[in-house]
Amino acid sequence: MGDAMRVAGRLVIWAEQCRGCRSCQLACSFAKNAEYNPTQSCIRLDRDLQTEKTTPLILPLRCDLCGGQPACAQACTYGAIAFEPAAEFAIEYRCGGPGEAD
Amino acid sequence: MKQTEQTWYIDLSSGRTWAEEMAFDDVSPVIGGSGRGWQILADSLPPRIDPLSPENIVILNPGVFVGTRTLGSPKLTVITKFPTIASEDRRFFTGSCTSGGRYFAIGMRQAGCDRLVILGKAERPVYLAIRDRGVEIEDAADLWGRGIDDVSIELVQREGMDAGVLAIGTAGEKLVRNALTIIDRTNSLGRGGLGAVLGSKNVKAIVARGSGGIRVANPVEYNKISNELIARAVSWPRREHWIKLGLAAGWSTFKHTQNPGMWPKDRWDKLYGEEKRLESLRAVIACASCPLSCRLRWELPGGEFGGEQGLGSPYSKSATSGQLLGIEDDRKMIHLVTEANAKTGLDYYTTMRLIDLVTRMYEQGRIPKESAGFELAREYTTYSRLYEMTAEREGIGDILADGWYRVKEEFGIDPQEYWYAGVCKGIDFIYDARPSRFHPLMMTFLTRPRPHHGGSHTRTNSRGKTLAEIREQVEHWDLSDETMTRIFSETPYSGQFNVGRYTAYMEDLMRVKNALGLCTIYTYQALVFADDMARLYSAAVGDEVGARELIARGERIGNLAKVINVRDGFSRADDQPPDVWFTPMNAPEGTIEMEDYFQTKMLSRDDLNRMLDDYYDERGWDISTGQPTKQRLREIGLQTNAGDSS
Repeated sequence: MGDAMRVAGRLVIWAEQCRGCRSCQLACSFAKNAEYNPTQSCIRLDRDLQTEKTTPLILPLRCDLCGGQPACAQACTYGAIAFEPAAEFAIEYRCGGPGEAD
Repeated sequence: MKQTEQTWYIDLSSGRTWAEEMAFDDVSPVIGGSGRGWQILADSLPPRIDPLSPENIVILNPGVFVGTRTLGSPKLTVITKFPTIASEDRRFFTGSCTSGGRYFAIGMRQAGCDRLVILGKAERPVYLAIRDRGVEIEDAADLWGRGIDDVSIELVQREGMDAGVLAIGTAGEKLVRNALTIIDRTNSLGRGGLGAVLGSKNVKAIVARGSGGIRVANPVEYNKISNELIARAVSWPRREHWIKLGLAAGWSTFKHTQNPGMWPKDRWDKLYGEEKRLESLRAVIACASCPLSCRLRWELPGGEFGGEQGLGSPYSKSATSGQLLGIEDDRKMIHLVTEANAKTGLDYYTTMRLIDLVTRMYEQGRIPKESAGFELAREYTTYSRLYEMTAEREGIGDILADGWYRVKEEFGIDPQEYWYAGVCKGIDFIYDARPSRFHPLMMTFLTRPRPHHGGSHTRTNSRGKTLAEIREQVEHWDLSDETMTRIFSETPYSGQFNVGRYTAYMEDLMRVKNALGLCTIYTYQALVFADDMARLYSAAVGDEVGARELIARGERIGNLAKVINVRDGFSRADDQPPDVWFTPMNAPEGTIEMEDYFQTKMLSRDDLNRMLDDYYDERGWDISTGQPTKQRLREIGLQTNAGDSS
């Protein structure tokens, strides 16, 4: 998907909040294709095999922010993915949690 | 759009694999998932076989909802004949065990495998790889003898970072009869010896990874219901506390219900309580699609094992065993949990209880030193050594590895003599009915073929619920008015509601949850109800089903499970409560006797027998034998299985 077709906005990843439930992957693929398929979602989960800590990584060339209501952010119940209005398309990775000073 | 289910078969003896596809119309009388798995087992498992022989069958069943985004549905149910020696005449029960996880069960379904049936025995150590192209046998010569974590990490590295792994440890390889398996490193599966069954088949691990999509019949409706249920769980008032502590939560209840009654409560609280847990808790990990999360990562602070990390849930089991064995340093007990989860796959509960038994009996002169092989002092070095010897089947560890009835064979110590929680069908209970009170979950430990909760939780597991709260949950089961009256009638032997009759439906619901893949925490906390499950199931498979019909299908699954066990000689005589429940516990705070849920009276063996009468009667079974009748099996549509009963 080219940049020209993209909705503007910023996906913010609060990496420390992720618990590995994969709801973001399932919601993303469902929003795109009406089936559940983590492999086809715009999100990869980086998996640390020492600790089983996961971090969602958004694939920027695939993600179109679901037209302004990203399914991944809506599906995350742990506050690991948030959507903020912004002038440009952006994906940001932040430390801590929502509400904390970065 | 109607759904179908794919069953994959693998015969390890011949290396042959094949697949069967069934329409949901055909599996719907038993829901699908593990329901259909039980049907396959009832049709194919020969009676009276040795569970550790090539004739045993292992069936892996992801739930119908697994791999979708809905409320906490990550569950895999595995059905097999377990190698725990369940009676003095060496009978073995056939049962199901369940577990969540993040990758394994989804990986199976993404590969297109809705069920895997494992037959035969491999000639040499192997692992099974479930991939898009089918299930394949891979050489595991380099994995045999290695620990669970080590093997799980290696297989993920080989197959891909979203691969799921189910692995056995060294105890499973050595056919320790309590050995379990670990899924995705965080979830244990198979108390009673699934690890040994896989070990007997030379299967070290199963890895699953696929790339396909998972569809439901009515995606819009399914997604709508799922969002509603997830929102309900997210707004649960206790969620904040729960997601902070996961399975480390609940101490305020646990310190009463799982108290062995040897230490004063304040001492236990100081040594193993919530404050202590927070010293080592590092992270709470969710299973797939779960908005609550309960699995834990810990790191031991200081001491002999300082810096050691582990995954799973160490706190409840270490707290009870620590008190039973008199170990004040929680880190030492948690270290042994880590060893079990990451390396051996020993069942911590059973192994610790057996160590408690033999060390006490050694003190009393019931086990001679020449049989023990060394001084069985009541101290940590002995416990740790016996733990290793059990995993390796060395010396007296070989006896402990065979469980309670082997201890009886060798030393004449009856399982009925054990002083905490008790033993039924060769399995020791996690909870003791005296401090817990006799709630319906304790009843399922007697009536289930495999005496473990296996996902049966309902409102009655928590203390202090009102009768109205208990009834409200049952109202969602859509039972008939007559049934509700039978359940909610006071009896002189089970208190304000009829525990035996309640338990029958609680078990039916458990069968439903297992077939669907829904985690039991949601019915435990009353966050999802049977009518919600029916709506979701209807949307998933395109078949309009209400709660009453879903529970009837659960009943059918339970009867299939029972029929298989009846063939192996199980009857009411095996469902007996342990003697220890009727022996007052002398705790420092005073005597604790087994009471009913609302603490209105002390319960006698006669009271429990009357509850068992009610349970069998509610099921339409023969009260004297505790077995399904031919007539009842026919009534619920199991004509072909009616020949197996009285």
